[in-house]
Amino acid sequence: MNPTRRHYWAVRVALAVIAIAALIPVGYLVSLSLRPPDDVLNSRLWPTEWTLTNFTKVFDTIALGTMLRNSWVIAVGAALLAVVIATPAAYFTARRYRGERLLTALLASYCAPPIVAIIPLFFLLRYAGLTNNLLGLVVVNGIANVPVAVWLLDGFVRRIPVEIEEAAVIDGLSVVGAFRKAVLPLLWPGVVAALLVVFFLSYNDFLFAVYLAVTKESQTLTVGLSLFQGDRNVQFGQQAAAGLLGIAPVYVLALAAQRYLVGGLATGATK
Amino acid sequence: MSRRVPLWLALPAVAGLLLFLVYPTGYLIALAITHSSLAHRLRSFSGVENFSSALSSAAFVPSLARSTVFAVLATVATTSLGLTLAVLLRARGTKFGVVGALLLLPLVTAPVLIGVAWKLLLAPVGGGFAQAFSAIGLGGFNPLGSGVGAFLVILLIHVWQWTPFAVLISFAALGVVRPELLESARIDGAGTWRTFTTVVWPAIAPTQWAVAVLELVIGYKVFDLIVVITAGGPGFATTLSPYAIYQTGLRGSFDMGTAAAQTLIFAAVVGAVATIVTATRARALKAEGS
Amino acid sequence: MSFYLALGGRGFIASEVVTTSPFSRRRALQLIGLAGGAAVLGPVLAACGSSDGARALAGNAPVSGRFDGVTLKLLVNQPHVTSFRDVLAPAWKAASGGDLDVTAAPYDQLTSKQILDVQSGTGEFDVFDYFYFGLGDLVDAGALTDLTAWIDTNKDKIDVAGFLPSIYDPYTLLGGKRYGLPYDGDVHILFYNAELLDRYKVEPPKTWDEYDAISAKITTDAKGSAYGAIVSGQQVPMILGCSFINRLTGYGGELVDANGKPALTSDAAIAAANHLVAVAPSALPTPLQIGFDQANQAFLSGQGALLDTWTDMALRAEDPTASKIAGRWGAVSLPVGGTNKTPRTALDAGFGLGISTAAKNPDAAAAFVAWATAAAQNLSVSSTAGAGIDPIRGAVLGADGYAKVVTKAIGPIREGLGGRPLVWPKEAGAPKLLQDLVDQLALAIAGSQTVEQSLGNAQSSWEKSLT
Repeated sequence: MNPTRRHYWAVRVALAVIAIAALIPVGYLVSLSLRPPDDVLNSRLWPTEWTLTNFTKVFDTIALGTMLRNSWVIAVGAALLAVVIATPAAYFTARRYRGERLLTALLASYCAPPIVAIIPLFFLLRYAGLTNNLLGLVVVNGIANVPVAVWLLDGFVRRIPVEIEEAAVIDGLSVVGAFRKAVLPLLWPGVVAALLVVFFLSYNDFLFAVYLAVTKESQTLTVGLSLFQGDRNVQFGQQAAAGLLGIAPVYVLALAAQRYLVGGLATGATK
Repeated sequence: MSRRVPLWLALPAVAGLLLFLVYPTGYLIALAITHSSLAHRLRSFSGVENFSSALSSAAFVPSLARSTVFAVLATVATTSLGLTLAVLLRARGTKFGVVGALLLLPLVTAPVLIGVAWKLLLAPVGGGFAQAFSAIGLGGFNPLGSGVGAFLVILLIHVWQWTPFAVLISFAALGVVRPELLESARIDGAGTWRTFTTVVWPAIAPTQWAVAVLELVIGYKVFDLIVVITAGGPGFATTLSPYAIYQTGLRGSFDMGTAAAQTLIFAAVVGAVATIVTATRARALKAEGS
Repeated sequence: MSFYLALGGRGFIASEVVTTSPFSRRRALQLIGLAGGAAVLGPVLAACGSSDGARALAGNAPVSGRFDGVTLKLLVNQPHVTSFRDVLAPAWKAASGGDLDVTAAPYDQLTSKQILDVQSGTGEFDVFDYFYFGLGDLVDAGALTDLTAWIDTNKDKIDVAGFLPSIYDPYTLLGGKRYGLPYDGDVHILFYNAELLDRYKVEPPKTWDEYDAISAKITTDAKGSAYGAIVSGQQVPMILGCSFINRLTGYGGELVDANGKPALTSDAAIAAANHLVAVAPSALPTPLQIGFDQANQAFLSGQGALLDTWTDMALRAEDPTASKIAGRWGAVSLPVGGTNKTPRTALDAGFGLGISTAAKNPDAAAAFVAWATAAAQNLSVSSTAGAGIDPIRGAVLGADGYAKVVTKAIGPIREGLGGRPLVWPKEAGAPKLLQDLVDQLALAIAGSQTVEQSLGNAQSSWEKSLT
């Protein structure tokens, strides 16, 4: 085999091995969801008895439908909110003279575990009438993840050559116009990456959801999964089933969105 | 150019900052200098009492060291693995593809489930890996049963979960490397490594540093995994700072005053380490003239 | 605050002028001002938020009645959901016309959520299914209504005399006042795998010494195919705490003596801790990482011969879809030790129903609490397989309906609840005491400290807190 073909196969084999290794725990979850309770600790990765009842019983054990809906609404809302705030802010921190200060401040706010912040946030939401409310969690998750989004987008903005905006400004656009027309299109891979990341962070958020959305109507999937943990005889199969029903649509989203990660400077950018 | 970037672009982010940094920090400071519990906040001024009890508690100060070791190891592992995987994926083509999307699964799965899956996989009797371990002569292998083992397992799971994040960002960043530059490097006869250091790295360096700092902070804030898998044990081996703070404030005596003091101390430590990294980043970026 | 200034003042780029630049100094001052303002604002908001302490329920509040159209909101422990949602809700509707809206919380978030609900001013819930263990914290937070007058006025209607003496005061009485009525009487008993005991020719242990010996024998003889004892030692009060206290109670010991002083260095306590350390090597690997989810699962899979856990294990063990040992298990009271020969259990959990001080429907809540803890309802929930509720009344404990559900476990349960079980401390701050204790015990089991050192440390920390 000539070097390029060897190279081709080496890469693919390596990726395949890594992908499989990375997937074993998730595959194990699938196998757990297909087992009756007495088969959980069977020393093997695969079930020795099979059943599909976990997927139906789980809807009786917890209000899974409501929780999934809540998790999605919150995650989508938070992602949009975070990115809408973060994109102009990232342009600011990347381009503006001394804009890094904002970046440092944002990172500083992200450094502290929000455990104690639950209390002031609780009061803030109560003031706004948003406790036990999906909108409240959208706001909390969205704003809490702005630092992540800004930090990510800042890196993406910085690698776009500033000459592009300068060219646009010379052509007569305002700075903001240059940002919108020249930079934003090039920023799409970064924006999609930021949306996805904030989505995943919010979808899997546990601490805020547990304490700021206590009622049955506002509970999210992560809270629901922790309810299984609270049982004396944990129904691992149902818990896995619930989790998989939660991951599957998100995974589809990730698959669909990853096409937009293809990007980079179009050859037309340097006109 | 840079002075003409208008201030109002930053306004929503600053408003968010005020709401989520300034107000809670102010409240946090108030909690830290008063006698406060979950039920009765801000009862009376207590000066530095909460800080001294935070620093003298047997669990908290060692947890800072543990968290730092954990976060640094996690950052190094996730960013280097992430970049390697992203390069491999790119070598395959410009699309993330099914393989890439498969790699996203750990990031997308809820931490509670990840904890449960790994806990059951590693259960020494009856766990998913038990038979496999016996087959390769490691019968009874029980990493979660020892302090060091449990720490490494949590680290492994965290790296497993967060490397896809680095892959995602690195992959997107690699997409930016201009093909013409790669082509001209190839024509000049540069080998893979030289191409990487002279063409690829300068283009992706800012995002790589961004990922490193984020992974550092995320590594510091590991919490869900510990709650589900080890409850801080065995002993205190996996009691990282967020868990220690949680124990103080939302369990035990609901002592919010001390928990607030702990949070401030912890945030200072994280901030200090993050500053070191970002300063290094700035120096490196400046040196490369980006 | 200083770290923030340090970050904000020092620029990224090495060449930048640092804190002496007027812009950054001004910015820093602005931010201090904002933070200071927020710090002042914080207490104001907090004051607006806190509820005004415990209220007392009037003596003439109802114990029954029609509440058509009233929806009561309950915050309950996750394992109790079936009992409220599937058993009590339809019956309540029939009896009173009212509805129940049941929200569940995992046991380790229950007390803090209840406190937050009231203290934040949200007041979402009317009725709390509370841990007796957290009673002190709940009362301290002003979350539970004082029911003393109401109970005294309605002693007969509520049939106070019918409550089991072993749990009535522990679950409801604090500082001379009553804050709830008992709902679920949780105790631990010792389950054993009959097949394993037969195979290795041992009898169920009567003392903790026998227990350790059996564990060692079975583990050695089974050579890895099974283990003698399953010991849950995860470092959380509800897990390691139970394991320790089950041994302590067998020795006749107490956590706190009659004068309210901690008794952690008593002979009984030292013996109990020594038993934990002694059995760890032969127990299912490894106690310090095993929580009851894994422990229960392992027992039901037939991997261990002895498990001390809650009585609802009986139902699971008999259920062929959940258990590999259906029909091949048994249950006895917890072993004894030392000079104590009378089997004794501990109130290793236990729940009461209380009324939130922020309840929107206190009258309906009162009627519900009285109704749900009445003999008829307690019988129906404890006789429903899967509801996971234990009797809180003598009549129900002795009933056949309950016995049918728990099968072989009925003997030790009656012995336990009918006796004088060990009560966990429940005043404000009790959970922290237990956490300190289990932290020390974990160190002893891990071998980093001796048992005497661990208990000594725990004793000092308890003495400091309890004075």
